[in-house]
Amino acid sequence: MKRTGKGMACMWYPIGFTVMANPSAATVKVNTDGTATLLTGTVETGQGALTVLGQIAAETLGIATDDVHVVSGDTDTTPMDTGAIASRTTYVTGNAIVRAAEAARQLLFEAAAPLLNVKPDQLEARDKKIQVLGFPSRFLPISQVAQHAETNVGKPAIGSSSYNPPTVEMDPETGQGKPFNTYVYATQIAEVEVDDETGEVVVKRIVAVHDCGQPINPMLVEGQIQGGISMGVGYALQEEILFDDQGKQINPNLTNYIMPTSLDMPELDVQLVDNYDPTGPHGAKGVGEPTAVPTAAAIMNAIYDAVGVRITTLPATAEKVMAAILEKNAQEA
Amino acid sequence: MATKPTQDLDQKTIVIEDTESALNAPVRVKEAHPIIYPLSLPETEERKATPAVGQSASRPDARLHGLGQTKYIDDIKFPNMIYAKVLRSEKAHAKIISVDTSEAEAMPGVYATLTGKEIPTNTFGPTFQDQPVLSDTVVRHRGDGVAAVAAVSEQVAQEALKKIKVVYEDLPVLLDPEEALKDEVLIHPPKSNIYTSKVIKKGDVEKGLAESDHIFTNRYKTQFQEHVPIEPHASIALWDGNGRVTLWSSLGRITLGREDMSRTLNLPQSKIRMIGTIVGGNFGGKNEITNEPILALLSKKTGRPVKCTYTREDEFVSSTIRHPFIMDFTTGVNKEGKILARKIKMILDGGAYCSWTGTTIGKGSILAAGPYNIDNLQVESYAVYTNKTTTGAMRGFGAPQVCFAYESQMDEIAKTLGIDPLEIRLRNAFREGSLSPTSQTLHSVVVEESLLQAAEAFGWNRS
Amino acid sequence: MLVELKVNGEKRSADVPPETTLLKFLREHLDLTGAKLGCDVGDCGTCTVIVDGISVNSCLMLAAKANGSEVTTIEGLANTSELHPLQKSFEELGALQCGFCGTGMLMSAKQLLDENPDPTDFEIRDALAGNLCRCTGYTKIIEAIKDAAKNMRAA
Repeated sequence: MKRTGKGMACMWYPIGFTVMANPSAATVKVNTDGTATLLTGTVETGQGALTVLGQIAAETLGIATDDVHVVSGDTDTTPMDTGAIASRTTYVTGNAIVRAAEAARQLLFEAAAPLLNVKPDQLEARDKKIQVLGFPSRFLPISQVAQHAETNVGKPAIGSSSYNPPTVEMDPETGQGKPFNTYVYATQIAEVEVDDETGEVVVKRIVAVHDCGQPINPMLVEGQIQGGISMGVGYALQEEILFDDQGKQINPNLTNYIMPTSLDMPELDVQLVDNYDPTGPHGAKGVGEPTAVPTAAAIMNAIYDAVGVRITTLPATAEKVMAAILEKNAQEA
Repeated sequence: MATKPTQDLDQKTIVIEDTESALNAPVRVKEAHPIIYPLSLPETEERKATPAVGQSASRPDARLHGLGQTKYIDDIKFPNMIYAKVLRSEKAHAKIISVDTSEAEAMPGVYATLTGKEIPTNTFGPTFQDQPVLSDTVVRHRGDGVAAVAAVSEQVAQEALKKIKVVYEDLPVLLDPEEALKDEVLIHPPKSNIYTSKVIKKGDVEKGLAESDHIFTNRYKTQFQEHVPIEPHASIALWDGNGRVTLWSSLGRITLGREDMSRTLNLPQSKIRMIGTIVGGNFGGKNEITNEPILALLSKKTGRPVKCTYTREDEFVSSTIRHPFIMDFTTGVNKEGKILARKIKMILDGGAYCSWTGTTIGKGSILAAGPYNIDNLQVESYAVYTNKTTTGAMRGFGAPQVCFAYESQMDEIAKTLGIDPLEIRLRNAFREGSLSPTSQTLHSVVVEESLLQAAEAFGWNRS
Repeated sequence: MLVELKVNGEKRSADVPPETTLLKFLREHLDLTGAKLGCDVGDCGTCTVIVDGISVNSCLMLAAKANGSEVTTIEGLANTSELHPLQKSFEELGALQCGFCGTGMLMSAKQLLDENPDPTDFEIRDALAGNLCRCTGYTKIIEAIKDAAKNMRAA
């Protein structure tokens, strides 16, 4: 008989380690037509980092995503980066890019100020314009300012900077201290159907509510959450590397290492919590890893709700769940 | 002898059969090429809008993926490029007595072989350097590389591996992490098998437990998980006439990768270029060098670009995997389900080498108590060497393991006390300004909000 | 041995060792690197191409077996002025992250829609069951296929 159950799990996850320095550097070059090039030493691993980083640079310069060309991943031409790891890219590399774009923008402000009869700190960059704060009708197109900066003033709008979440030492004996600059939070709730005659668990739906600060690109954040959940479903129910007694892996292939296919994915309802982190680039935090964290726990709690068995070792394969159900029935008899 | 070119009028290709007709052919031979014309399609609104933050902009790299134009490393070809494969250990723990590559070298199509002794500095590791590039004295897991071959094709390289003779002397194989704690068999002598640990202490955990109305003690265990990036690891090495080497690599950290290359090859960083192309999935498994120094040396020996891609089996056996955790949670609560004290002990199966275990044990330990206000807390974690695949960075760094434990136990507590699972979490959750397990004041906290929002979306009725 | 076949409507041929798979034939001899090598044993689907109207794992098919056949690869979907509706939907709806499974997914999706222009959710999932993806969780891929199917029916 198929029994339904629901289970929830909430979690927290850190962004931007501070235990030791992990800087990222960036360079932003504004072209004479108001478009820009961003140089970053990070590597695109598929999550869409380059698009998001381009959006961050565009935001600071007041131009559109499409106006920024992102160059990455070459130690000869792009500045250093600690790497695309630990969900640090949006936050740490992003903050470096904000600072680099601000440095380039400052040169634009300094070039535009005399033309608009104001001081540089009275200017802002919005909607492809350099305009006076509070008086948006007094503006120059960013393209004109960029051209002027290079060919008249002789100071091309190029900015470089780096960012490191301030390093703080931890107490070696008690582990007390400030190990990370910020954290993200999330809750996932799973609904499962357990067949109490075979132990098979099917995840019917998952509601996932995640915090990532200000989402830079909501479609990409959603993609990350959906992908993380699929890893979590696999972790919960299917995936396991097995070793024999000589230390040899028994299933080092995709025939026998079971991971989720399109048939295994539940219905997903993905939402973001409204939030803004002032320490992050334009309020953003990060999302890559947190997505895979609470899924297994939510599913295990749902299994308990469905059939009253507590699985304490992952993965909850059908055999394991069935054995637990049989044991429970025997105990109750 | 001149023959007419065969021409299939339906097709755009003309098959030329000899030189003379090539000269006489009315149309140049056209090969089927992938589309390379710029497609002038209207860009999406989101890419053109300001402000840029908050736009669901489509990705330019996604355009290229959809067209099949993205060049992953395995798609990249250089003139005269040859292929390398690495021989993996047959033993989980053994001394290497000898490695004889002579028969492999003599095979037609084989250009060079490489062993660990030829690597200038044969150690690497993102935290500390306990891992050999190619094992030359001891193998500690079956994924250890023992020798490498560069040949005219992958197939020949694979065949050549079979001709390499390695003589091993068995050492006891240690697989159980709880056994490993005893230090009876040492995997990296004279070091203890416990190669990193972490302690967190806050308040007075024994006092807190003594004051509790209920104490829950549970053990939770998790398994080895593999990243399964759909793109296997791949790298290409090539030199120029100035003694400068370029690495094309699926590595996610090229700045530090270059430093690793500089160290292992004894070469200044200015002589090394590392290029990270679009990677087909990382998830933490492509964050340290693997074959790159081997390929650089093979390329130097042969005077040709050398490429190596991992087979899917290599991905499982030789790339890093997720740490299994053994977690003992003892939690004291009052009648209302408020957590007064939590004591946690964790053992991480640290595999044969350290890799990213330091970060995993650190994060795992800090996160282990969950997003809950707990005044009295103690966490003690240990990572031990075992003769199994190196455990390293994987999406979450210990967080999925500990979340499974703390959230499972939370439900146990809720069930026993007859409190709704949502309610019990709301009673304990961090709020703005709460203190973390390391006494850090937390900002931008939204645990409660995420719980309530999820419950509403799901239709969770609090009982 | 000489293998001759039609790829994306054009006649192609190459002289290859008899054990050459169709995948290697395409990637190494014809320079069509769109189909990928993810496992080489038919488990992951990154090598999916369409041979005589049926989607196949090209790593499991000998090039010789495809002699005389019509093969469609990812490189044959777009033309010089337009993306295929599937490519357009995948791009706009964020169904491609790292992209490595993408070309195989697109070919499986194309074969599905060629045969079944209005597939149900289950039929889509079933058609993709042999294509593994680690990045997207499949959700946006399924949405993109539905979107492309709708656009193709309207055209």
